[in-house]
Amino acid sequence: MSVIELEDVIKRYQSGVETVEALKGVDFSADRGEMVTVIGPSGSGKSTMLNMIGLLDTPTEGHVHLDARDVTDFSEDELTEERRTGIGFVFQDFHLLPMLTAVENVELPSMWNTSVDRHDRAVELLRRVGLGDRLDHTPDQLSGGQQQRVAVARSLINEPDILLADEPTGNLDQDTGQTILEELTRLKEDENVAIVAVTHDDQMLDYTDTTVRIVDGVIQEVAQP
Amino acid sequence: MAWRNLGRNRTRTVLAALGIVIGVISIASLGMAGAALQQQATSDLGSIGGDVTVASGADSASDGVTRAQVETLRDIVSDAEVVPQKSNSTTLTARNGEEARMSVTGVTNAAALYNLTNGDAPNRLASGALISNGTAETLDLELGDPVEYDGQIYRISGFLEESGGFGGGGGQLVLPISALSEQDGYDTVTVVAGNSDAATALADVIDSQFNEEDDEELRVSTFGSLDSLETFLNTLNYALLAIGAISLVVASVAILNVMLMSTVERRGEIGVLRAVGIRRGEVLRMILTEAALMGAVGGLIGALGSLLVGLVMFQLLTGDAMAVFNWSSSQYLLFGFAFAVVASVLSGVYPAWKAANDRPVDALRS
Repeated sequence: MSVIELEDVIKRYQSGVETVEALKGVDFSADRGEMVTVIGPSGSGKSTMLNMIGLLDTPTEGHVHLDARDVTDFSEDELTEERRTGIGFVFQDFHLLPMLTAVENVELPSMWNTSVDRHDRAVELLRRVGLGDRLDHTPDQLSGGQQQRVAVARSLINEPDILLADEPTGNLDQDTGQTILEELTRLKEDENVAIVAVTHDDQMLDYTDTTVRIVDGVIQEVAQP
Repeated sequence: MAWRNLGRNRTRTVLAALGIVIGVISIASLGMAGAALQQQATSDLGSIGGDVTVASGADSASDGVTRAQVETLRDIVSDAEVVPQKSNSTTLTARNGEEARMSVTGVTNAAALYNLTNGDAPNRLASGALISNGTAETLDLELGDPVEYDGQIYRISGFLEESGGFGGGGGQLVLPISALSEQDGYDTVTVVAGNSDAATALADVIDSQFNEEDDEELRVSTFGSLDSLETFLNTLNYALLAIGAISLVVASVAILNVMLMSTVERRGEIGVLRAVGIRRGEVLRMILTEAALMGAVGGLIGALGSLLVGLVMFQLLTGDAMAVFNWSSSQYLLFGFAFAVVASVLSGVYPAWKAANDRPVDALRS
């Protein structure tokens, strides 16, 4: 059973006077414990597709199913709630808050929710990504790879079903990128999450279960090695 | 969280808070200045403000207030002091040739009307004289020196405090009522009511007792001018507060600017917050808290600053620095502080709303 599914999704943008069709009828799905990598040239609609999956944007036509529920017509507040409970994000440039420590950054998504204390889970997640001794460091005291590992830990704090990674290795060197990918692969199994990653990075293909190539808003090839 | 966000750009935060501090100081200090002026003016006028002056009316047949009328007055006002006076003017010449033109007042009970700086005023002034101390200085007179009026010699038994500004300014000579015996009636009768409210009430009673619509036997007047002075001071006070409020408005525009800049700067960050599931209301609250904190800190420092200004001001204007803690002036400290917090939160509303409703997709792309 797919945890996330795009069904014939079309997305049009108004760009000046002309309408740009970024996605032209995309079908996509991902399962728990699966890593799907989306590749394609820039401007092909990769990021738009990731925004659809991440419930950051809504399709012009078509449907989005999360855990077999149709969330296409959810309001912004409902989508926020779904993101909070079901989806984790890892960004290319980490996007950690500079004034918070590593452990506070990990706790961030649950910080406003006083009913649950995620501190212990935050500490444990940081230990698992190998940052047990960096808990109280602020982002500027951490290397790029360490920051991205904090971001990975943050994406998992609310026990999501899906982890979305937008160029997770894009700002890291080869070796650091590799450790992050190993980390993600391990967490994918431990936490049983679906990972959907957008990348230009060829080494990522070594870790992925399914590769989706998208060109000009159309999925051209789905490969399962 | 909000606190740490403010800490990120210290200079900017401090400058914005400084704007608030200055705004609060100006609004609170000007408010307190008004209060100090009011207190000072009221205490100056306090003594004459409580008097009712009765003189012969336009339709009176007699010259001045008659003895009978004075007796009736005494009956009406019962416990208030009634002091009939006769007045004239004269020129005194001193031994050194200095001359001074002054008003002469004949009075029976000097103690009820005059404050002495020196010497004493017997209840029933029999043969002594009181003279304003300024004139005494000009004429080089001392206690016990003789003055001559209408061929009679009177010895100076006390000096009068110069009445500040309002009492005619010129020199004054107070003599026993008998000195002006050539006049039949009394020129004026002063009823000492104590305070201006009582004076107004008494004046009404006297007026209704003696006068009719078209027959004014006695002209009754109080220092109603005290009321109008108070009105004037209140207006002045509002004007001062308005000036202070303008600077606070300027300060809140500064806060608006700072909050707007910092939300624009943090647009991507707020996008991340929204992406990871922080609700719009929570983002809104965070930014409003930042604004409120800035306002509260600025307001607090401003209030302390204005307290210092107030202490100095009251010391200078009324000579009693501690009077600043009276509610009439210390309320402005509270108002200033409240105004600062409210203004900051209000100017945080737009940036907060803008940040919270930014679409996360757009915010992340920037």
